[in-house]
Amino acid sequence: MTEIYENSEDIVAARRAYNETLAAAHDKRRAYWFPMFVVASLLALPALQLVGNYNYLIHLVLYTMCYVTMASGWNIIGGFAGYISLGHNVFFAVGGYFAGMIFARYGISTIAMAPLAGLVCAVLGYVIGLITLRVRGPSFIISSLALVMIFRIFLENWHFVGGAAGVSLPANDLPVETAKFPYYYAFLAMAVFAVWASYKIKHSKFGLGLRAISKDEIKAESAGINTRLYKVLAFAFSAFFVGMAGSVWGEYLTYIRPNIFLVILISVNMVLMCILGGKGTIAGPVIGAVLIVAFNEFFVATLGASAINILATGLIMALTLMFFPLGLVGTLAKHRKLPRVLNWD
Amino acid sequence: MTDMIQILILGLALGGVYALMGAGLSLVFGVMRIVNLAHPSLIMMGAYVAYWAFRLYGIDPLVILPVAMIILAATGLILYKLVFEREAKSARYSEMTVLLTFALAMIFEGALATAFTNTQRVTSPEYATDAIFLGDIFIPLGQLYAGIVSLVLIGSLALFLKFSRFGYAIRATTQNRDAAQLLGVNVNLVGLVSFAIGLALAGAAGSLVSFVFSFFPSKHWEWIAVLMSLVVLGGMGSILGTVVAAYMLSVVAAFVGFFFGATWSTLTFFLALFVVLLVRPQGLFGEKPELT
Amino acid sequence: MTKLLEVKDVVAGYDDGPAILNGASIDVQPGKVHCIIGPNGAGKSTLLKAICGMLTVRHGSVTFEGRNLKGLRPDQVLREGICFVPQERALFPKMSVRENLRMGGFSMPDKSTLEKRIDEIEERFPILKERRDQHAGTMSGGQQQTLAMARTMILQPRIVMLDEPSLGLAPKIVKEVFEIMKVMTEDGITVLLVEQNALMGLKHADWGVVLDLGRTLFEGPAAEVLTDKRIQELYLGGKKAA
Repeated sequence: MTEIYENSEDIVAARRAYNETLAAAHDKRRAYWFPMFVVASLLALPALQLVGNYNYLIHLVLYTMCYVTMASGWNIIGGFAGYISLGHNVFFAVGGYFAGMIFARYGISTIAMAPLAGLVCAVLGYVIGLITLRVRGPSFIISSLALVMIFRIFLENWHFVGGAAGVSLPANDLPVETAKFPYYYAFLAMAVFAVWASYKIKHSKFGLGLRAISKDEIKAESAGINTRLYKVLAFAFSAFFVGMAGSVWGEYLTYIRPNIFLVILISVNMVLMCILGGKGTIAGPVIGAVLIVAFNEFFVATLGASAINILATGLIMALTLMFFPLGLVGTLAKHRKLPRVLNWD
Repeated sequence: MTDMIQILILGLALGGVYALMGAGLSLVFGVMRIVNLAHPSLIMMGAYVAYWAFRLYGIDPLVILPVAMIILAATGLILYKLVFEREAKSARYSEMTVLLTFALAMIFEGALATAFTNTQRVTSPEYATDAIFLGDIFIPLGQLYAGIVSLVLIGSLALFLKFSRFGYAIRATTQNRDAAQLLGVNVNLVGLVSFAIGLALAGAAGSLVSFVFSFFPSKHWEWIAVLMSLVVLGGMGSILGTVVAAYMLSVVAAFVGFFFGATWSTLTFFLALFVVLLVRPQGLFGEKPELT
Repeated sequence: MTKLLEVKDVVAGYDDGPAILNGASIDVQPGKVHCIIGPNGAGKSTLLKAICGMLTVRHGSVTFEGRNLKGLRPDQVLREGICFVPQERALFPKMSVRENLRMGGFSMPDKSTLEKRIDEIEERFPILKERRDQHAGTMSGGQQQTLAMARTMILQPRIVMLDEPSLGLAPKIVKEVFEIMKVMTEDGITVLLVEQNALMGLKHADWGVVLDLGRTLFEGPAAEVLTDKRIQELYLGGKKAA
């Protein structure tokens, strides 16, 4: 008989050593200074307006932070729970319309309304989730697309909100140099909150349950996790952040219209940012947002804002999905090369 | 009463076109378990082939239909080899692949828009505006032809699946991929050929679409939602289900449109999807509750 | 004379994940029942899947009568003469028993003998004849296992590999399953099986293979493996087991 080990203790020891080699490396050290540095710089950025006209830069950063909020929110259902929603811009629209209409009629600032708009979207997300989260994978994705179509038709035909033409919102009466400031800081606050919240969720029992669901839902269910509740809650949470961002976006643009919120590129961007950065990681949506906005600017500058934009976005997405499905943060982490400043998990 | 029959016929004709559009999608899903969100954008490609053939050479869309099928089938072979073959073999399969097809849809839309701009197009062979009269009932010729061609193609597909050896292999792979493979079916080849067939059907649908609707590159988004609703309603993986759902919903939508207006007509498909999800998530002919 | 099947130092894993097998081998004894045992995660199922082509063999060799099996697809391995019945049994639930059997003969180049073979199998396994029109998905676990195993015999293969055939079956039915394996060897078929219930598997086998840490740690006549003190302690549940 072939035999390698003399006695059982050797085997047990060998087994322990073998299991060690299979365990993933885990760098527990955190570079806390980095996110704080980023936030501090962002707080100070508008001061540039004192030395020159950086309005466009401020707009870009604001735009990025809006997406950071939305992508981080999307990450909760798409990254943590693994349910890809291609129709999350519905909540962007609902938030925008809710706060925008209140602003138009009663003059209450959308920034003040943002949390409430988020809440409204969370409730809506909960209700929708109860229906759509009954099916998995492909059917869920399809239902999210149908949702966008339904809302679009609905909003385009509802006279109360101006139908396809939408509603115009008054601009604030700050001077041009500081006009963007309130929105800038609002989005900054939202982005920080969204990133912080997703960190908290990821490191909670809830987040652990979501991760189990994303790996194998049947096993998670049999392990005693109330998968239905968890999924729907995750969907509601993600809707909250997207709705908050939406509420301020309308006022920032000074009008609300269906094709501002419900255009496919917005939901694609949310998804692509998470995938490019790293689905399910904390830093992923942030990095993804920065990269995509940068790419977009680059393409518009070199190729003009045209159909090539869609082609390019699709190409980036396809290449990322085929060759870097774990995203930037995920791929680096897998190869143990993730720089500590990017390890926000 | 004649009004009702009229609407029924219009609904059925349109249903035929949707059924053809959905059949290819359903076939690919059954074999490869991939929801090809790029399917409608490929239908657009077929529509453009038909359009330019008509505009530049005066070739009738029904005549160019086989050519469109071949072109799209070839595209399918290339796409499969380039993109889907490796995806089909890996474990972590479903959602990422769906996103990939979504990205492809954007790529095709962008390419078509760059090449042909966003102008609305439509092919206008004579029969597109002609109609025949059966008593008091008015049947637009274009849609009638489209409905007939769809039936013929879907029927051929059904015969092929039921009676040919390869069809047998396709059905086995659809039911249980691993089992089929272990019993001697080259599932990769089955995937490749099914994908090509599915796309050929898309090409045919494109030719028909070119004179039934007016189209532009981003129109595929409307159809994604419609087709997907059909596939879910019919039951994922059941071609018969998709076809039945297509006819049913088109007729319902036609009646809804008559009584409530065109906007509500389109809404029918999406609302039906949600109702199905609420009441019977596996659709009409789907089997067990969905497995990813 | 070339060896029937040579499995040496196989290194394999899933997709591009870590290697589950790190040098597994089997000293195949033609015409005998081999039982592969080992702890969970040792790679038992992985080994069978690697042999039949469902997983890529990264290193090592798998040769069948001198022909290299590495890189072949499962349907090609089947045509060489090796059948694999996975844990899930690979049946077509919506097809009838008889249709499942017919599907078993899918790869036969000459179909004229197929109907005859199906009839022969039905004679040998009366339960299948009884339920020939029943949908395979509605049968009990034991009946499904019988169908899956009988189906392999349609092709008169040289080797049949079974992944946990006794999974979820009552002890009485398990005995019947092992009876079928005996019938197979009487037909000259070599059987490789993976068994979680190591004690029972070894009792019914001729040759035992112990897989642990991704490698073959022990291999030998089943009786020897069964009575080895170390193996009893580590894999058979203590010294009192056998």
